[in-house]
Amino acid sequence: MKIRHVKTGIVLGSLIALALASSATGQSMTKLWTSDAVADRQRLMKLNGASWADAQAKLKAGSIEAIAVNAETLALTSTQIPALFPEGSLTDKSKAKPEIWQKWAEFEAAAKNMGVQAEKLRDAARSKDQAATEAVAKEFGRQACGTCHQPFRVPPPQPQQPPAPPQQLQPR
Amino acid sequence: MNLERVRAGALLGSLVALAVVGCAIGTTTTMGSGDPVADRQRLMKNVGANWAEIQSKVKAGNAEAVAVNAEVLSLHAQRITSYFPEGSLSDKSKAKPEIWQKWPEFKAAAKNLENRAGTLRDQAIAKDAAAVTTTVATFGRDACGTCHTPFRVPPPQQPAAPRS
Repeated sequence: MKIRHVKTGIVLGSLIALALASSATGQSMTKLWTSDAVADRQRLMKLNGASWADAQAKLKAGSIEAIAVNAETLALTSTQIPALFPEGSLTDKSKAKPEIWQKWAEFEAAAKNMGVQAEKLRDAARSKDQAATEAVAKEFGRQACGTCHQPFRVPPPQPQQPPAPPQQLQPR
Repeated sequence: MNLERVRAGALLGSLVALAVVGCAIGTTTTMGSGDPVADRQRLMKNVGANWAEIQSKVKAGNAEAVAVNAEVLSLHAQRITSYFPEGSLSDKSKAKPEIWQKWPEFKAAAKNLENRAGTLRDQAIAKDAAAVTTTVATFGRDACGTCHTPFRVPPPQQPAAPRS
């Protein structure tokens, strides 16, 4: 058997298949993000912080039903989190811990949990049930944010007294 | 050259290469539920709800507070095209087949939403209430409309249900 010919064929076939596969994915899977995963996820998480701040302000003002939009936004963005943490994407600007990739299944579960908690908040808000909404909101920091930030994020520097104002979107 | 063997090799190579690509794609975390119509309708409902809140904040003289909602629109806009895999039409979908016939225009319309929402966000962060009001006044036509007019079947006219 002429191995060389087979080899030529293998190389040729691989190249063609790869070209086809990459053009197919190129078309149907539009790239969602810039090439800077750290910047992308920090942008997303800043928005989550701002949405959460907005939800808390509404809670304080008694606009219970209006919290639903923020909660649904949180639920939707939570599904994007794992994709924004490609393996080893750490820089000096990132507060991600390497534990993310050592315990990937737990990290994914934490993102999923955030979605579940946010949907709970959304449904409580939609039902206009002030007590139920307050109860979910009161636990949200610990139950939703904390289950991921605690094990997987380097704690941010402690705010000076008096506490910093609620997180706002900053110009990028 | 023995063409038949080259062919056999080519087939083998293709299969291996495809398998490798398949695995690589498989590791990409899936963001959708597997039902792109449901996923995009959920996303667009949240876009609509944030847009409604922008309008009511502007009406209430609280233009600076729309930054958070505008940023939601800008980030959601980045996801739109990935929720329209080719041929993803169902009886529940209001997508027009023109989306795939004019894919670059569809992509440009989603990008346009991302950019305009970004502008609105920056105006709100700069506390420029007049600029926010101006952008909001034409946003329906210049951002939503550039995609919904060519690419969406008009919804039946009816009183809007509460959205969130």
